[in-house]
Amino acid sequence: MNTHHAILTAIVFAVAGPVIACCSPNFETEVAPLLIKRCVECHQGQDPSGGLSLTSLKGFAAGGDSGDAIGIHLLERITDGDMPPGKQGKSQALPDSEIAILRHWVDAGADWPADRKLDYFERTNDIRSGRDWWSLQPLAKPEVPRLTTSVQPVNPIDAFIQSRLEAEGVPPAPPADRRTLIRRLYYVLIGIPPSEEEVLAFENDTSPAAWTSLVDRLLDMPQYGERQARHWLDLARYADTSGYERDQEKTNAWKYRDWVVGAFNSDKPYDQFIIEQLAGDELPNRDEASVIATGFLCLGTWNDEPNDANEYQYERLEDMVHTTSSAFIALTVKCARCHAHKFDPVSQEDYYRMASAFWAGPLSKRDRKWLGSSTPEELGYDDVLGWTDLSANPKPLHLLKDGEVHLPQDVVKPASFSFIPKLEEDFYPPPAEAKSTHRRLQLARWIADPENPLTFRVFVNRLWQHDFGKAIVRTPNNFGFLADPPTHPKLLDWLAAEFSEQNYRIKPMHRLILNSQTWRQASIHADEKNISIRDSGNRLWWRAERRRLDAETLRDSLLSASGELDLTVGGESFKPSITPEALEGLSKKSSAWQASPPADQKRRSLYMYLKRGLLPPMMTTFDLSDPTQSCGKRDITVVPNQALALMNNQFVIERSQQLASSITRATPNDLEAQIKTAWAKVLMRQPTSGELQQGLAHVSTQSITFSKTNSSAATSVSAQAALLMHLRADQAVVTKDTPPRVKSIPDLSGRSHSASQTDSNARPVLKTDGFGGKPTVFFNGKNQFMHLKAQLLQTPQCTIVCVVNDLGKPGHREVISNWSGADGNSTSSLFLGLTAQNTVRFTNKFGQAGDVTNRNTPFVFTAVNGSVEAAVFQNGKLLNSGSSLGRRRLDTPWVIGQQGNINGEFWKGGIAEIRVYERALSGPERHEVEKQVASRYRIALEIDKPLEPSAMDLALASLCQVLMNSNEFLYID
Amino acid sequence: MNLNSHFPCGQTRREFVWQMGSGFAGLALADLLAGDGFNPLAAKKPHFKARAKSCIFLMMNGAPSQVDTFDYKPALEKYAGKTLPEDKKYINSGGRKIGYLTPAWRKFRPGGESGLLVSDYFPKVREHADKLCVLNSCHTDSHAHGSALVAMNTGKTLIGRPSLGSWAAYGLGSANESLPGYVVMLDKRGGPISGQPNWASGFMPGTYSGTLFRPVGDPILDLKGPEHLTPKAQREQLDFLAKLNQKHLDERPGGHELAARINSYELAYHMQSATPEAVDLSQESEATMASYGVGKHPTDEYGRNCLIARRLVERGVRFIQLYSGGGHLEETWDAHAGIESNHGQHAPEVDQPIAALLTDLEQRGLLDDTLVVWGGEFGRMPFSEGKDAPGRNHNPYGFSMWMAGGGVKGGMNYGSTDELGFEAVENKVHLHDLHATILHLMGLDHELLTWFHQGRDESLTDVGGRVIRDILA
Repeated sequence: MNTHHAILTAIVFAVAGPVIACCSPNFETEVAPLLIKRCVECHQGQDPSGGLSLTSLKGFAAGGDSGDAIGIHLLERITDGDMPPGKQGKSQALPDSEIAILRHWVDAGADWPADRKLDYFERTNDIRSGRDWWSLQPLAKPEVPRLTTSVQPVNPIDAFIQSRLEAEGVPPAPPADRRTLIRRLYYVLIGIPPSEEEVLAFENDTSPAAWTSLVDRLLDMPQYGERQARHWLDLARYADTSGYERDQEKTNAWKYRDWVVGAFNSDKPYDQFIIEQLAGDELPNRDEASVIATGFLCLGTWNDEPNDANEYQYERLEDMVHTTSSAFIALTVKCARCHAHKFDPVSQEDYYRMASAFWAGPLSKRDRKWLGSSTPEELGYDDVLGWTDLSANPKPLHLLKDGEVHLPQDVVKPASFSFIPKLEEDFYPPPAEAKSTHRRLQLARWIADPENPLTFRVFVNRLWQHDFGKAIVRTPNNFGFLADPPTHPKLLDWLAAEFSEQNYRIKPMHRLILNSQTWRQASIHADEKNISIRDSGNRLWWRAERRRLDAETLRDSLLSASGELDLTVGGESFKPSITPEALEGLSKKSSAWQASPPADQKRRSLYMYLKRGLLPPMMTTFDLSDPTQSCGKRDITVVPNQALALMNNQFVIERSQQLASSITRATPNDLEAQIKTAWAKVLMRQPTSGELQQGLAHVSTQSITFSKTNSSAATSVSAQAALLMHLRADQAVVTKDTPPRVKSIPDLSGRSHSASQTDSNARPVLKTDGFGGKPTVFFNGKNQFMHLKAQLLQTPQCTIVCVVNDLGKPGHREVISNWSGADGNSTSSLFLGLTAQNTVRFTNKFGQAGDVTNRNTPFVFTAVNGSVEAAVFQNGKLLNSGSSLGRRRLDTPWVIGQQGNINGEFWKGGIAEIRVYERALSGPERHEVEKQVASRYRIALEIDKPLEPSAMDLALASLCQVLMNSNEFLYID
Repeated sequence: MNLNSHFPCGQTRREFVWQMGSGFAGLALADLLAGDGFNPLAAKKPHFKARAKSCIFLMMNGAPSQVDTFDYKPALEKYAGKTLPEDKKYINSGGRKIGYLTPAWRKFRPGGESGLLVSDYFPKVREHADKLCVLNSCHTDSHAHGSALVAMNTGKTLIGRPSLGSWAAYGLGSANESLPGYVVMLDKRGGPISGQPNWASGFMPGTYSGTLFRPVGDPILDLKGPEHLTPKAQREQLDFLAKLNQKHLDERPGGHELAARINSYELAYHMQSATPEAVDLSQESEATMASYGVGKHPTDEYGRNCLIARRLVERGVRFIQLYSGGGHLEETWDAHAGIESNHGQHAPEVDQPIAALLTDLEQRGLLDDTLVVWGGEFGRMPFSEGKDAPGRNHNPYGFSMWMAGGGVKGGMNYGSTDELGFEAVENKVHLHDLHATILHLMGLDHELLTWFHQGRDESLTDVGGRVIRDILA
């Protein structure tokens, strides 16, 4: 039994005792706590339940709507079990012992001291906290404990932790080795792993300052701010769009994100950090940056079409109250929107006091284009997502009974909260010349007040959480009654006081923590088995916490291992490639998503665009926080979908192949060296001899498997199986005209997509010695084209290889198309052709698909659309690549030689051969096909080698991928 | 002193284990289930005996018109051409033209022995009238698709809460660990408005969010890698990985989370074969395929999805949602342009597949254990959008849904709208009531099924919701 419980039990006995003994119970010690606990919740305030107020003698004596005096009726209702009323079908009837107290009290005349007013929140009891709750008590710097059995540590953190371990008789874990330490440190401070060289340098650095200077170096890196900002963005419910039907982009949200990064990097004092986010627009020295900071208030979801615009203002208020109170003071103030907080001393009025700070802002319905935020005119800056009041004198805000808009009560006087009486103050009215209410500024200053008992405890707890993997209070967004109790309450207070002495600068706090022995201990403990039975949650901090990489650090680590991570700081978010399958969840499907160029996608995950209607699947699989609400602690799940993603996701495959090919380039023909490098790049160490042997065996096995599936013969066989249509001019059925006109061309693929033209005027001409002396069909660019039989493609994934030349005049012209405006696929058809500028277009989505050269000369013209990427090639050489074409409407008629059914955009020039495959061919497959047709028409390919890796490269990539899946890679010791 | 007596958030140990134990596969869980691998979707006992082991929610995205399908209103014939009485207050969604009361666009006829009235938009479903429990008095909290869809799925019009299927998956787990507990199949035309939040798990772990299944090929994301990574090659990778991980684990005694991850790879390997098998219709007889309308226009797509839903039910998936209609306006049931043109297109796509699903479930003895729910995010107005205009605007005040199978009475109507079909008046069914009833049928008490979040025990129905006892069989 814990001590807390023991004390409670003692109190119960103490209370029960005198009741049995005799006479009138003591009002102060027995009756008042009971009334507060059981009755006052409803029987208080402006509109007490049943008209009966039980907070003072006056109210008690006056009775309620049903009359009564001195409690006779009250006692009846309680004895009958009517009071307190049941909740959600469950009786709340009082236990006999409590009824007995009240009965004796009433029997004895219900004495109530005249000046004694009961206050619902005056003290903590066993069902909720009062204003005496620990986190609401003033902060004082506790004494650093003295150890009794071992040497007093230098770092006060260690003194707090070790004195407790000492008392419990638990020895701490030994210090972690240097390799573990540097890796842990990199992840904690900058969120990316060290290189093997950096690990070695630190391992070999014998100077006494090796550790402290490493900590300092990382604190000075711009990546420090990026990593720390990610934690804050979770609290700020950061995303790049609004959510709901239109899910509009919050165009400048990224500037807020960059502001947060900058604040951490410049070590902006935390009090200032608070004030700028809540009231950067109201500061006397406001500037663009401080206005950008108010983006904090604009990051919530926003529905441009709420059911009821008036009610929706109150929903938005709740979002702001909740985010602000969760992030800064870790209280669930939003719970008091409809009634007094059930567990904490937050009155309903407190909720509306806080809401009043936001009430003057753009909450009501306005032009959609402002997305519920302030206009550039109001803010004084263009292209900023920010918040400011619409006036200095907004309409009054009423407290709403039960949170119902149609039940307004008294007007709420803007003020700070009641639960910290020392700091409770009415907000002063705005200065005469002010454009805003200055309420947010006062709220912010109240939060940032050095005497606010919550703010700094809450923040140092977050610091501890991110540095150690678990917090001192393990419910970081809740310091109320339902919070997890602090593992080390005095340490928490000491840290908060120290933070204040450091002028709320964060970097010195990191230094303090990271230089402690506690932080530097190992995650492995010799007596793990026994200690974990007593303290499985590691509440004593007897070892370091092992942590799994979160979604961002995982992705960044993959890019780092492959040597591709782009460390550019700041700027607009990039959109990752998302497969068409994953885009199906959007009501507008792929048209709503345009991935950024591949180079931009190598940036850190912090810069990944977060669309509320479609969070990146790979990231959510690894427990990305949900951006609709402030999140103080991410989930850490272990589900097979994570394994599937790391085994199969294209992003991971590409990283492993990229790493393998860079290793092969660096040390060709030396497999052992290659395997060692793979280990060094992914795991920052050399393999053991056993691991090296296993690695060699793996590469050998895989290379045999891959060479079987990847040989050139196998390549053309597999490509052949995907062939959907194959038209070749030498097969053409022609008229007896001179020159002969083409009536039809049979389909050599066996899939029955022959070409035909019944209108004799529209038939193209066959030249028997066309390209390379082979028969070629020529189109006149005026009216000639051919129909294809049946629906050619079932999915947009395809490869088109054709041999053509172009003699067309400026203007669009197409080789193949299913465009049909009448059927509504003008923007979703699939076609391949050229533009007026002689550039390629491969559907309207990929309108800039590169420039063809020497267009009059026959060339091999290839277009590939895969699940992630689309690309166009001329004579085997890449012209351009972009993101996948996404969803296409393919069930309209297909033609060659013009733009679908438009009766225009005719091709002028020859087409000797067209092959269409039902999927994106791999590089080697495409190369094989291009080689075949090029040689037939005597065309020289500009690229002679396959672009794809060999079986050996793939085998090495397989090894790299396995390392990227390993627990050693995924966990931080 | 045993420090394990601490549980976060002031919950009791039992609640904590129940919430975290199967749901939150976090480190705390590893602490509790020392040594064992764990699966957050492991089957859990319901609060009481379940009437339905699984639920198939047939989501008519865009909102079908009740007065043209399951809520017969002869008064509309009498008052045709008149305006809605002025005392009827409503929000004119989208500020559209307000026209005149318009009778049903197709005839209603009695079905089955019960004589339940169903219109000619659903002739085949009508044959199952005796299985249907039609709730004519549904009402919801928003007139706009975006928020109403989210409300029908999560209980509130604001995004960010767990969906009904997430609650079911959290409450019951999956009876088949190689498949997700909660599967969503969208219409090829697109997803519902508001997208992912419709099947997200909100503040619960992502494990409980709906998994999008595609009806052909690989049903879920990342199920297969590039072609050269054949099953053989991947097995070799996993074997190599297992060796590395085992050594790593051996050096880290007590690394339960590491052991769990090792297990998750084997589970993933099984999923790679189990998941495609679940959607492989080649195992179905031609007669079955034909009954669902697979391979025929216009029933092929929904027929396939319904048939896959039955296969998923057989394999222990708890909650399956099948969308009819996707994208916007006429690609969904959003019949502004015309009831006949719209419902005349969408109803034939689903009528035969739904009827076949009911028959098939019944014949296989699955209907008793499977709850089938049909409906949209709201209903439609009894009046047109202008003089002689053929469409109807949104109506959140009264609409019809129906249930069949798993523990509900058949052949009955419950509740009613006013004589014009405008608003629910008798035995009103708010969407919280609907949710409470669905959970109840699945063995879950909507008041006890809570998730502790940000200082509050959150539930699907919040402080509302009542189980509709009158429809329980």
